[in-house]
Amino acid sequence: MNLASNANAALYASMIVYTLAMLAFSWYLAGRAPQVADSKLVERAGVREDVLVGAGSTGVPERRSPYAAAPGFEESRESRQRGNIALMLTYLGTALLVASVLMRGLAVSRPPWGNMFEFATAGSAAVGVAYSVMAKRNNWQWLGVFVVGPILLVLGLALTVLYTEAGELMPALKSYWLAIHVSVAFIAVAFFTIAFAIGIVYLVRLHREEKPPAKPNFVESLPSSAALERTAYTLNMVAFILWAFTLIAGAIWAKQAWGAYWQWDPKEVWTFVIWTVYAAYMHSRATAGVDHRKSMLIALVGFVCVIINFTLVNLVSTFVGMHNYSGVG
Amino acid sequence: MTTETPPRPRKRTQPDPSLPKLSALGWVRWAWRQLTSMRTALFLLLLLSVAAVPGSIFPQRNIDAGRVADYIAQNPTTSPWLDRLGFFDVYSSPWFSAIYLLLFVSLVGCIVPRTRVHVAALRATPPRAPARLSRLDEHAEVVTDVSPEEALAVAREVLRGKRFRLHSHDSTSISGESGYLRETGNLVFHLALTGIIVGMAVGHVFGWRGDIILAEGDRFASSAGTYNTISPGPWVDTETLPPFVLRLDRLDVQFNEAPGRGFGMPTAFTAYTSLQREPGAPATKESVSVNHPITVDGADIFLLGNGYTPVITVRNAKGEILYREATPFLPQDGNYRSVGVIKVPSASPKQLGLTGFFLPTAEPTFVHGPASLFPDAKDPEVALSIWEGNLFPGDAPQSVYTLNTDEMKQVTKADGSPALIRLKPGQTYEIPGGRGTVTFDSVKRYAGLSVRADPGAAISLVSAVLATAGLILGLTIKRRRVFVRVRAAGPQGAGADSPSGDDGRPATVVSIGGLSKDSDAGLAAIVAAVHDRLAERNDRS
Repeated sequence: MNLASNANAALYASMIVYTLAMLAFSWYLAGRAPQVADSKLVERAGVREDVLVGAGSTGVPERRSPYAAAPGFEESRESRQRGNIALMLTYLGTALLVASVLMRGLAVSRPPWGNMFEFATAGSAAVGVAYSVMAKRNNWQWLGVFVVGPILLVLGLALTVLYTEAGELMPALKSYWLAIHVSVAFIAVAFFTIAFAIGIVYLVRLHREEKPPAKPNFVESLPSSAALERTAYTLNMVAFILWAFTLIAGAIWAKQAWGAYWQWDPKEVWTFVIWTVYAAYMHSRATAGVDHRKSMLIALVGFVCVIINFTLVNLVSTFVGMHNYSGVG
Repeated sequence: MTTETPPRPRKRTQPDPSLPKLSALGWVRWAWRQLTSMRTALFLLLLLSVAAVPGSIFPQRNIDAGRVADYIAQNPTTSPWLDRLGFFDVYSSPWFSAIYLLLFVSLVGCIVPRTRVHVAALRATPPRAPARLSRLDEHAEVVTDVSPEEALAVAREVLRGKRFRLHSHDSTSISGESGYLRETGNLVFHLALTGIIVGMAVGHVFGWRGDIILAEGDRFASSAGTYNTISPGPWVDTETLPPFVLRLDRLDVQFNEAPGRGFGMPTAFTAYTSLQREPGAPATKESVSVNHPITVDGADIFLLGNGYTPVITVRNAKGEILYREATPFLPQDGNYRSVGVIKVPSASPKQLGLTGFFLPTAEPTFVHGPASLFPDAKDPEVALSIWEGNLFPGDAPQSVYTLNTDEMKQVTKADGSPALIRLKPGQTYEIPGGRGTVTFDSVKRYAGLSVRADPGAAISLVSAVLATAGLILGLTIKRRRVFVRVRAAGPQGAGADSPSGDDGRPATVVSIGGLSKDSDAGLAAIVAAVHDRLAERNDRS
């Protein structure tokens, strides 16, 4: 067995573990619904938080993360255990995926993100690592299914559609800028992805806050829409800054490889479009009078652009440019 | 933000008499305010991103004029309109330029007044503490038995440690403000964005590029007239181009020969050259490869292309050499099936033109036309058709890579079928009808070199880095105000639980309030830090 096939074995293993994690996360979320009904959150919607905290308190002052579950929702011990089981599985899946990426890198003796397959796996690993690092501290067990699901989807597509044998790169990619430009790009995408997931959850949560449903479900056990919005904003902000780095590093590399730092190549155009859309999101969030829902919609459009940039721009011949590194076809 | 206003249908039918008539200057001022508002900037940003998209969908002249021509030929009905609307030159079209120019005007219109306000804020002292600190976003209260002065001193020390700017408007309160760098960062970011545009403009005006195809063994002396194509910026004096002399000693190209997916993929391109930085200067050995340009006198030499130059000799019937040159053939696919043209104006009685293919590893049967199986020159072959007549109809300028056959006729064999030359290196073909011979002597590689100077790039780079630094400051730093007010605990403290010192010593009530412009998770921690330090003091004494 060589390193490259070990890398693939680790990739399959991580997908199996991630699948289990996703099931565990779903089990965990499903289990939260009836508890919400019990705590009669909807009936008590107008009651102040401090009253509710007093209700089930054990007397031990617990330091609550602002992103933890909504006031009024008391998580049971079993529920917490389920969440933690799912989280442990996620850690394991992420460790396997990171190992796969590292082995692939060793097998090809270069940064393992030189084609679409490698970018997709390395990007998924970045999402997994970012989520794993932040989940425990912020009590993000509820987010797990929305992060692990997309990771599985991307890994599945990477293996079936984008798979490329481990191999040497074309000369244009042989540069230390590959390590800088592309890694910053997929780390940014990782943050954009998690922020996107939270953004969607935010919209659902907000909708149900404004028009309370007859029967509460797990959505009512999530942090408040305001807290979700703040989290998504913070993550988008980090990603946006990283994306600015991606743009600049890409321009410096383009100058070295192609002789001009900006030529409106389709990939450059879309990187720029993504940057401007997220800049518009940041801008609208800072503009008084624009409500946060509208801002969030801009951010979601930005993520659609991220997806277009990775899929259509790489694979569809309309967007022929100089970034022809997909390794597909 | 907007408040409910009762409908006023009257306004629709007749102008509101209370509206002042705007003078011309008034309208300008109104327009300026609209343009520099944040909502307009937001709209322009979104518009800019939408406007950039067509340039990635339609072929662009600045990237590949050939693809634009193909597109126009394939879409004869829509393309004239697309062309008229600038869809093939999106990034220099009037509408795209209008959007980004408006955006930058809006940006400058925003920066200038904000800079003024910010400079004033930097000089100002933090405002007086509000009367009721409990109304603020974050609030805490602590009762301590230290004196009011000492309590304030403790608070001051904590806040100073957190880099607050402090001021006491009266003896019972402190006002602190921090996060001035947020607005500084914002302004630097916006200002630096204009710097990027300035750098691009400088590059456009003072930059230039020249392209040259250089066969192995050939020399090139840089000057305005010697490039195959040169595009100088409007303010470039082409007499002052760096006068270097470059000889291409060898072009080393490697292709992946292992069967599989990467078969035939290039793995390395390196041009080994002898470079004289000035005519007469000693030559130094320099190599240019992808990602590793050579710098000469403010310009960079890039290796951007490569291909083959078959050396072809054309002789007349008497054996005199009419043509002998290494002629570049341009690669058309990944296996370097290349097309090229040989023009022999000195042939008589009629001028001769040869056009066709160079195949580095020829597929022998030509069942699907001339094809190459591998990009390296394993089994090179040329396949050419022969034309005679007038090479330069109307003496119009034409490309060296195309043959204008408007006034030419294809040479045929005795049986009337078109004559096709197929030669391996060293072979000679006799043109039918005693028109002479064509010999394929050898094949050399050529390097497509591009020499470029962009004096604006450094400005853009520095600006981009500054913009990012400003962005980080502007987004991560929070503008915060913290107020601390002390009062002696006593009956006037009103609350039933308002304690005085157990041992009868006077107690002090300290209220701490914090205020932030944006959602700010860190504010609570700062208020808590002041509170905890005071509480600690209390425990110790």
